[in-house]
Amino acid sequence: MSVSWFRGKDRCALASIGRICAVYIAFFSSSLGHAADNRLVLTGSSTVAPLAAEIGKRFEEQNPSIRVDVQSGGSSRGVADARSGLADLGMASRAPNADETDLQFFTIARDGVGIIVNTNNSVRSLTDEQIVAIYTGKIADWSKAGGAAGRITVVNKAEGRSTLELFLHYFKLKGGDVKAHVIIGENQQAIKTVAGNPGAIGYVSIGSAEYEAGHGAHIRLLPMSGVAASVENVRSGSFPLSRPLNLVSKGAPGAVARRFIDFARSRSVHDIVESQFFVPVAP
Amino acid sequence: MLPTPSLRDALYGFGICIAALLVAAIFFWLLADLAWQGVGRLDWTFLTTPPRNAGRDGGLAPILVSTSLIILVAMSVAAPLGVATAIFLSEFTPAGGRLARWMSLSLDVLAGTPSIVFGLFGGAFFCVFLGLGFSILSGGLTLACMALPILIRTVESGLRSSPIEWRLGAAALDLSRATLLWHVLLPAAAPSLAAGLSLGIGRAVAETAALIFTSGYVDRMPSSLFDSGRALSVHIYDLTMNVSGGDANAYASALVLIAFLIAANSLAFWFSNRIFGRRMARA
Repeated sequence: MSVSWFRGKDRCALASIGRICAVYIAFFSSSLGHAADNRLVLTGSSTVAPLAAEIGKRFEEQNPSIRVDVQSGGSSRGVADARSGLADLGMASRAPNADETDLQFFTIARDGVGIIVNTNNSVRSLTDEQIVAIYTGKIADWSKAGGAAGRITVVNKAEGRSTLELFLHYFKLKGGDVKAHVIIGENQQAIKTVAGNPGAIGYVSIGSAEYEAGHGAHIRLLPMSGVAASVENVRSGSFPLSRPLNLVSKGAPGAVARRFIDFARSRSVHDIVESQFFVPVAP
Repeated sequence: MLPTPSLRDALYGFGICIAALLVAAIFFWLLADLAWQGVGRLDWTFLTTPPRNAGRDGGLAPILVSTSLIILVAMSVAAPLGVATAIFLSEFTPAGGRLARWMSLSLDVLAGTPSIVFGLFGGAFFCVFLGLGFSILSGGLTLACMALPILIRTVESGLRSSPIEWRLGAAALDLSRATLLWHVLLPAAAPSLAAGLSLGIGRAVAETAALIFTSGYVDRMPSSLFDSGRALSVHIYDLTMNVSGGDANAYASALVLIAFLIAANSLAFWFSNRIFGRRMARA
């Protein structure tokens, strides 16, 4: 039996499909307007992204012909995208590695990483050795670190996070040495985890932690090597565990990128940097 | 001693009622929690102003537009492809045939694939290989890939469940295959198309991982489908996980997301009824 598809008198189906197609063509052709040509694309660190996006908005206001597109994804991605040319500028919340001589780093702000515990924890300070022992599982109970008895919950950052790299580098640990009970991605997650668990210890951006602690989150920042974990001490450079927030360019940046970098390092964005709980760089 | 049959019936009934109530209670608990924390921020200006200060202040306007465009692109690509594939599977291949088996297997694997995999694929294929960059189009096409399997499966089962008598009747009247499909089978499958679309939309609206690498992070009002646009779920994720002090707006945005989901689902039902459903009465 042969089945004929479309007969002379019954073209209703074909006509309907034709109409649907017409609507599609209209929808897509009307919305495929021209994208802006003067576009600056930034990708990378999820810590830098909200800051760069706000700086970008102010930059756009002053330069209406330029559009700044900020994408997230992590420092590793920022460096990779700057290298491959997918982004005009990468964002990295860490200092350059030794093998990154092909890239230029421009610091736009600083961020300090501080150790946090729950406010119900009686421990007021830990030595670097104690922190290492806790994170490698050698101390598993607060009573051995000067506190009341209770299991320690070690909160660690996920692989690829620049806070993790900074933390490991400072304490001269390797990723495999850390015996973590909870692995989290972002600062806010760490703050929420520690605020909800009396035995937890974690490390986060000092700017975020200071803000959350000031707004009633049940966390306390511990001093490092006797230096209080505060925004002030990160600015002055006296706090040991701090990191630069960088824009990354492959070779010399282009004209528009250069202007953006200068703008992001200028005094006119200090209020934005501070409103994102980071510390502006000099001058 | 066993309970009497009537007591046993009552116990069964009671257990089933409790289960149903529990499911409803979970939903209302979630909704009440969101409403409690978010409704204070929610007003007309929240929906009509752009976000400020990394989303801590301001509203959602560009994000709502981007989300709608992403969903529109995804569904307008997925619906015709999905319906055509479902017709192919149910009408043109024998149920137990080798082709049908391979198609079913690949669809089931696709349906269970974690969304981050789609995100990486979309980022590599649409953004880089096809050169669409971070854009609403890339995001929509990635979501279309994600929504297709579930859409195809539901429409296919809707088509398969239409009674054999209808096909026999059509054969007796010497209707063409296209007429049978267009006037009988598709109208009968309209509810399953609506269900498939709303499941697809649900998966798409809830998507964060697949969108952060494709449609991106830019919270400016999009002017074309080639612009990057932040989706609602990406915005909520960023506010909760990455922006200190973004919680209040995150809750309000989540409430908007739920309203958005309900609106999009109603629209899907209306649409599939309009295209196919009414034909049933006429034919």
